[in-house]
Amino acid sequence: MTDKPTSLSRRDVLKKATGGAALIASTAAIPGVAQATTQTTKRYAMVIDTRRCVGCHACTIACKTEFDVPLGVNRSWVESIEKGNFPHVKRNFLPRLCNQCEKPPCVWVCPVNATHKRKEDGIVTIDSDICIGCKYCIQACPYGARFINPKTGSADKCDFCLHRVREGLAPACVNTCQGRARIFGDLNDPTSEVSRVLSTNSVTVLRPEMGTEPMVFYIDADHTDERDAARTGQYVRVETHRPNQERV
Amino acid sequence: MHELNWGLPVILYLFFGGLGAGAGAVSASVLLRSGGGDQSGPSFDIARWGALIAPPAVILGTGLLVFELGSFQAGHWFRWINLFMVINLSPMSLGSWLLGLFILVSLAYAYTFFKASAKPGDEQHNLRKKLAWAMVPLGIAVALYTGILLGALPARPFWNSPILAMLFLVSALSTGVAAILLARALFGKMLSADDETVENTSAENDSYLLTSSDLLLIGFEVLVVFLFFMYAHLSVGAVEVAVNVVLGGELTTMFWFGFVALGLILPVLIEMKYVLPTLLYQKKYQFPAGMEMLVCGLVILGGFMLRYVVVIAGQVTGPVGI
Repeated sequence: MTDKPTSLSRRDVLKKATGGAALIASTAAIPGVAQATTQTTKRYAMVIDTRRCVGCHACTIACKTEFDVPLGVNRSWVESIEKGNFPHVKRNFLPRLCNQCEKPPCVWVCPVNATHKRKEDGIVTIDSDICIGCKYCIQACPYGARFINPKTGSADKCDFCLHRVREGLAPACVNTCQGRARIFGDLNDPTSEVSRVLSTNSVTVLRPEMGTEPMVFYIDADHTDERDAARTGQYVRVETHRPNQERV
Repeated sequence: MHELNWGLPVILYLFFGGLGAGAGAVSASVLLRSGGGDQSGPSFDIARWGALIAPPAVILGTGLLVFELGSFQAGHWFRWINLFMVINLSPMSLGSWLLGLFILVSLAYAYTFFKASAKPGDEQHNLRKKLAWAMVPLGIAVALYTGILLGALPARPFWNSPILAMLFLVSALSTGVAAILLARALFGKMLSADDETVENTSAENDSYLLTSSDLLLIGFEVLVVFLFFMYAHLSVGAVEVAVNVVLGGELTTMFWFGFVALGLILPVLIEMKYVLPTLLYQKKYQFPAGMEMLVCGLVILGGFMLRYVVVIAGQVTGPVGI
């Protein structure tokens, strides 16, 4: 995998995003992404507005399709949190993916330098030709975002659809989200939607106490888990839709 | 159900790696203790057993690790060689190089003992002494690293304790001693049959030294276990929740009965029965062979149970909250 930035000019990118009818139908250009040539260093981030998430799992499926992810494992998935005692009940959704942490513990433990955080855009990537599948990074990730891909035998996870983002396209999950709950873009561009949303909303990240400084932010995320049930006396059930896996 | 990414191969590796590294370090230090390796006698025998145990145990453990690799399971059989293409600060990278070095040095060290006629002053004498000086730090480093490997992960609160590496080191040394004593008790006649000149008292002295060292090591192990749980139990949050899996959860019986009772307390009590009369009243040291084998078996079983419980407990617990 080369780390070379895209060789496409801005015009090419725009052409690609606005050119054919098929492309218009299947992809969306993102303001922060399309400025490939004006700024060399990017800091990609995602804001997930859970108020707009209806739990349709379209992002999960789009991701599965985009990467041909084998059965039983997911790069992106949606958790649902059911809570409350009848009639005061609520079901919230928590879309999950790799947090592309600023301080990625998974990168520091890799013994073969197969995974690294890209300096040019902050995306944490895995080179599946180098990875030996030792699973140390899986143990190191506080978010359970990594898994062994049964086909390649190497560690795998969300990479913000690097191959699409390089071409100025939105990640597959962002592109497919019906409620526009996922907002993706470059934080180094103050005019990008993600920058504006981030500065005008109160956001949280998952497990901030781990000190990983995630680049995936949530608006109105439900941080309830089963342990809160005991304290509040509420019924709480968390479903992850990942086979044989509790929320890790 | 939580996913167990590291299963029996990793548990067995931590066990055999620790046992082999411990046996190697103990063997070399016993050899050096006997006049820097110049004196023949039971010390040399003990050193020999340790030297012969170390490489097969560590190679077996390391070999098992390869089976656990995702790349190996997917058919990339030699992808693990990538480990030796780079070196970085990952505990696994440092550990791989350390293991490689230990295996080479311990093989050379075992080679100097390999001939049945090996004795101080033979043609391998100088090489053996030099390698012994390397074996002590290398063995300790390998034993320590297995704990650092697990301890380096903040995402695994059960493992993320500075004292876990210490626990693994002490356990490695004590299982190493037990393996040497067991091997000598089981096969000792084979080796010393041609060596009738050795005084029995000297042999007993060395057996006494090893057994009392083992007693001391297990005593330390009990203390380290106590510290591990005291600090974890007095914390709040992820670590406290994680240790509950052992203090009152699915792994409680296996830990307290399998490791603490069978692997620590029972051997300590038996060893004290035979060591204390000599230690306190300078009585003649006698340890029935059957009892010695039982104690060694228990210590080795305890070492395995420790690795088993720790590896599983670390993976079924995690950060609390989301």
